[in-house]
Amino acid sequence: MSSATRKILVSCAATSGALAFLFIAPNIVCAVPPHVAEQTAWWVWMILLFAFSFVLGIFSVLAGVGGGVLFVPIVSGFFPFHLDFIRGAGLLVALSGALSAGPPLMRKGLADLKLGLPMALVGSISSIAGALAGLAMPANVVQLLLGVAIMFIAALMIKSRAYGTPDLKEPDALSKMLQISGIYHEESTKSDVSWQIHRTPLGLFLFMIIGFIGGMFGMGAGWANVPVFNMLMGVPLKVAVATSGLVLSINGAAAAWVYIFKGAVVPLIAVPAIGGIMLGSKIGAKLLTKVNTRSVRMIVIVMLVVAGLRSLLKGLGI
Amino acid sequence: MSDKEKISQNIDKVQLVYARVLEMVSYVGIAFLAAGYLVYVLQLLPLSVPIDAIAGNWHLKASEMQQKLHTPAGWSIVSSPAELFKGDVVSNLSIYYLAMATLACLGFASVTFYREKNYLYTTIAVLQVVVLLVAASGLIQ
Repeated sequence: MSSATRKILVSCAATSGALAFLFIAPNIVCAVPPHVAEQTAWWVWMILLFAFSFVLGIFSVLAGVGGGVLFVPIVSGFFPFHLDFIRGAGLLVALSGALSAGPPLMRKGLADLKLGLPMALVGSISSIAGALAGLAMPANVVQLLLGVAIMFIAALMIKSRAYGTPDLKEPDALSKMLQISGIYHEESTKSDVSWQIHRTPLGLFLFMIIGFIGGMFGMGAGWANVPVFNMLMGVPLKVAVATSGLVLSINGAAAAWVYIFKGAVVPLIAVPAIGGIMLGSKIGAKLLTKVNTRSVRMIVIVMLVVAGLRSLLKGLGI
Repeated sequence: MSDKEKISQNIDKVQLVYARVLEMVSYVGIAFLAAGYLVYVLQLLPLSVPIDAIAGNWHLKASEMQQKLHTPAGWSIVSSPAELFKGDVVSNLSIYYLAMATLACLGFASVTFYREKNYLYTTIAVLQVVVLLVAASGLIQ
């Protein structure tokens, strides 16, 4: 059997698994009014949450998105926990994923501290504001806005085209002042790639907006960080992805404290979610070369659309 | 010169310091998280709020659950040294540790930037530490 056929077969199996999980699991675990949830032992929910997060972890790596962005909309659609606790856990999921992936990426020069720190500074302040705003709003409004945001992310994933190493003629004055530029070693071509950036002021402004949205919905913001770094500011894709994790770890930490102090972080829910996503991400990384990632990306887009629709309907009280 | 040596030459010292600290705190954090959770769910230590009470009310808003169960949040979970020997408090502290991990990295990065006389990034890193400290202090609620 050729490697292409094997990839297609594995992808088909993954697709069926994901769709079955998405469409059958809701009949088992969703539409859970409090009295039904109460009849189910707490540890059953924890095992389900761990398994669910584990699958999300695998898919998030294969689709090239952070676990946080999938976690909040999907778990809020299918589990009995209030959105406050899911957002609190979602931030920690995004934070812990970024923390564990960070060291090797920084050592390879892919995650860049000088690029990430100014963005994280504005992003962390606005993520605190976003978390405060999100927790002050009625749950149905947040759910509705979350649905809109998720549909937007799905559309962005369909439309966006990343550039490996954007062709950039001249860095802007602010990036020169902030000494933002770098060199990383491209293993596929065995060569050093130097990079610089432009449109830094606009980038800073967008990172402020992204931080607010991330804090409000308790999502990781890799889906937005990467296009802004790569398509707007001209950061090479690998550096953009890696530095996005660095920014996320700082923004997530800032917003997480707001959720902690508001009592929206419950270890009973947060820890299995973190464990499941982290373990799933490791398996996903191993499967990366064996699976057709384009198909998986399509599955994730479908998952996001379904979760976004559910969130919209929940927000509208339907 | 090996690829690895070539890569390290291109990378700022401060970035390598940040990576080393991050690696250390992450490993400890994951172990703490797992151990804390086992202590909590296996009820190896007494709990300040029973698990069944949490599970019976997790459909409520966080503020409503707090009001109903009088669950402490933030640093009030360690209002006295005796609280440190409660399973749910230990599990909560493991999460707080995780949320503070970047603070430790940024602290070391600030010092390294300062030693390298890079005052611009020393300022940015210190400002970032201040933002995280303010958030972790619970002053903004």
